Amino acid sequence: MKILSARRLKKYFPIRSGVFLQVSAYVRALKAVDIDVEEGATIGIVGESGCGKSTLGRTLVKIHEPTEGKITYCDPTGQEHDVSRSLGRNLAPTFRKDIQMIFQNPYDSLDPRMTIRDTVREPIITHRLLPDAGAVDSYVAELLTKVGLYPEYAARYPHEFSGGQRQRIAIARSISVRPRLLICDEPTSALDVSVQSQVINLLKDIQRETNMALVFISHNLDVVHHMSDRIMVMYLGSVVESAPSDALFDAPMHPYTQALMSAVPSWDPRNRKLGAVKLEGEPPSPINPPPGCPFHPRCPRRMDVCEKTMPEAVDIGGGHMVACHLFAGS
Amino acid sequence: MRESCESVLTVRNLKTYFRTPEGIVKAVDDISFELNKGEVLALVGESGCGKSVTASSILGLVKAPPAMVEGSIRFRGRELVGMAAKDYRTIRGKQISMIFQEPMSAFDPLYTVGYQLLEVARAHMPWSDGEAKEKIIDSLRSIHIPEPEKRYGEYPHEMSGGMLQRIMIAMALITSPEIIIADEPTTALDVTIQAQVLNIMQDLQRDYSGSIIFITHDLGTVAEIAHRVHVMYAGKIVEKGPVVELFEEPLHPYTLGLLTSRVKREYKGQDLPFIEGYVPRPNELPDGCRFHPRCPRAMERCRREQPPDFEPASMPGRTVACWLWEGGDAE
Repeated sequence: MKILSARRLKKYFPIRSGVFLQVSAYVRALKAVDIDVEEGATIGIVGESGCGKSTLGRTLVKIHEPTEGKITYCDPTGQEHDVSRSLGRNLAPTFRKDIQMIFQNPYDSLDPRMTIRDTVREPIITHRLLPDAGAVDSYVAELLTKVGLYPEYAARYPHEFSGGQRQRIAIARSISVRPRLLICDEPTSALDVSVQSQVINLLKDIQRETNMALVFISHNLDVVHHMSDRIMVMYLGSVVESAPSDALFDAPMHPYTQALMSAVPSWDPRNRKLGAVKLEGEPPSPINPPPGCPFHPRCPRRMDVCEKTMPEAVDIGGGHMVACHLFAGS
Repeated sequence: MRESCESVLTVRNLKTYFRTPEGIVKAVDDISFELNKGEVLALVGESGCGKSVTASSILGLVKAPPAMVEGSIRFRGRELVGMAAKDYRTIRGKQISMIFQEPMSAFDPLYTVGYQLLEVARAHMPWSDGEAKEKIIDSLRSIHIPEPEKRYGEYPHEMSGGMLQRIMIAMALITSPEIIIADEPTTALDVTIQAQVLNIMQDLQRDYSGSIIFITHDLGTVAEIAHRVHVMYAGKIVEKGPVVELFEEPLHPYTLGLLTSRVKREYKGQDLPFIEGYVPRPNELPDGCRFHPRCPRAMERCRREQPPDFEPASMPGRTVACWLWEGGDAE
């Protein structure tokens, strides 16, 4: 069953300047992105900083209002709602309960003045999930146990925990309302390598148990591959390639995806490979994106057409979508 | 491996402790190592293991008090621990220079990058300003900065993180130092930019034959750039070895744990292997071996006694601080 889908999603942030704060330019964070999130599935979103992956996550969870495009939300009864604009008083509680988010930095996303109990309890109380305080407390204890923390920790404050433990607390908070979709924005980037795997395993376990859908945003290709059923590769506000995760890793088609994969270190000192990476330059600014394909200034296989027209995504088989002129007409 | 084994920096029993309201924090606790001429030595470890404090101690950047630095750091026959601030200034930035993790915050936003590079040249080199500017622009060109003359007059906010990190490398190189300490130089960068920066560092290291201490938590980049690797955990060096051997046959259970924490493709659909527990807080270090609460092979002895460095006879050039290796071979 579908939970959330977006069509031609666009998000421009105005840049204001001058005495009267007139809009002088736009940061084109998202340009016409399509995404479908099904129950129990994981969509991975990968790309470098500034590619719009976090903006996409935040627009889906409705922290940002999209500039254009349509977001459709399917409530638990199967009824579809257009949530592109304001949620409205009737829909907001259902939507907020159904779609939760965890953030990159667990040092910032927990309130330092609230105990762990208060932090985890807040959404349960807000959504009136349980009738009395005793039931809430035992549910909080159950949640903490589930994420691998001792229930006795409930009376402590966030500063008493390490990064990995804090991310577990953030996960406990987000799953407390039993969401159908959890948007994870770089949930392991701030964590040490030895702890990263613990958090990934935890998310997978919870997903297996609850059949929750995940949108997993990360710059780490290996982590995204491990988590996802389908991966979308973003560059400068556009999705350049999207495919089932094994298909994408076996045969990356877009020159950017290929470059991104070749830039991941090999972990093999006998076969060093970064010397062979040919990608020059840096991603251009989303304020003044190049015309045509956003990747053409760095692309080793650019053609004349790339400088003029933006390629449309084409399906090259098995749901493997590529937005590149090399594949136009195939 | 490199043939020349001339040592440029010798660290012996270095201890850097901090006095805090919560007690004494043993950030670096009795570490010894040597840096050879022309090599890239990687100091690897997770956050809080003491790798950055080691770098700061070498550069004389820890403030005492509250810090207490003991032991010996010898650089070309001179003792750096306890050296007067005035003398340190002739070494820091000139013979030993540093590349920091966050390029965006390491530059002063109020001055052009050119001016900040010029400042380094003025402090350490006998050049006139005109000469210095020429050399700076040359060095910017050598690290593939497009339009170096234009960039010279620009401010840090006008550049991307990757560009600034490369400029910081240029800044560290202006004085042709003998040692460059790079503290997580690519951590804040995207992978494609990281590849570019690592390539530049490798080329430069080959050309100028200086030594690099490369500090990172990312074993992937270590495999790409290092000659020798020292693995740190909770203020101690737990394992030392040449990069190939260390990756192919890690001796310490922590090193093995770090290497298996890599997310590999084969693991898809299964649970990822991981190290139990968390890195201990520096003011709550466990007794005995500091890794024992997380170690899958911990023995009774590990809980009581700290292991010394063992040198397995069959593996020259490697040391491991783990009781499993007592007597030369793992039991």
